[in-house]
Amino acid sequence: MKSIEMTAKTVEEAIEIALKELDADRVEVEIDVISRGKPGILGIGSELASVRVTKVDGTSNVLDSANDVIKNLVSHMDVDVVVNLKEADNEETGGPVFEIEGDDSGLLIGRKGETLRSLQFLTRFIVGRQTGERANLSLDVEGYDERRKQSLANLANRVAQRVVKTGRSIELEPMSARERRLVHVALAENSEVYTESSGEGRDRRVVVIPS
Amino acid sequence: MKELIEYIAKAIVSYPDDVVVSSSEKDDGDITYILQVHPDDKGRVIGRQGRVAQSIRSLLRVAAVKNGFHVSLEIE
Repeated sequence: MKSIEMTAKTVEEAIEIALKELDADRVEVEIDVISRGKPGILGIGSELASVRVTKVDGTSNVLDSANDVIKNLVSHMDVDVVVNLKEADNEETGGPVFEIEGDDSGLLIGRKGETLRSLQFLTRFIVGRQTGERANLSLDVEGYDERRKQSLANLANRVAQRVVKTGRSIELEPMSARERRLVHVALAENSEVYTESSGEGRDRRVVVIPS
Repeated sequence: MKELIEYIAKAIVSYPDDVVVSSSEKDDGDITYILQVHPDDKGRVIGRQGRVAQSIRSLLRVAAVKNGFHVSLEIE
């Protein structure tokens, strides 16, 4: 895979130049934003934006369809954002990861990530129908997913400490399957507690239990 | 907003030509959208445990926040 790193005043500009160098279309590349850069004041303290752009070998039906569907959804929602393919095939999720950036990106996260989950669910659903393939794609908004992962791990560890101290189990809030998994994983190597899920459907939650 | 509902509905139903989206505005400016689909497609736009309909509503809320009013969606 051909890959180059590019620096420019803005992320958009860096991507544009990199695409020209690679002679590639926006839908054919993975874009990893290394630094968003800073405008600074009168050029003082400014930082350049830098991106790594990688041309993807052979694009798949799911990838093409997903690009199309996400773009259609966000444009009909009237929000000011740009959608990039971050990774064509993520190891953990087994599918492509798209990153959403821009002024309205916060709106697309919603309360506790609800809007982001809905957008991802509908995209998967539509892509699945269009291609007849299982679409393991995921969406992330400017590193929200990463941050959420980190904060879930922190929460899990804090709760585990309390469970050990009091010797009593603690039930967490209801979470999605993915979030529950992150909590289980975060505490898998902690020998002082073990975790279980209880409850049905949307009410399903992790329980941290002293061992 | 109407286009958003139409786009999603048409993408998931088996009879896209039967998709009709209408709207009615209340006195306070809030809007109710009504999505009509072929009877065989009703289950698809609602989804298991109402997941599809809930997701469409959640996306509509974003568009509504941007425009400063409330929206609701009914499926017929």
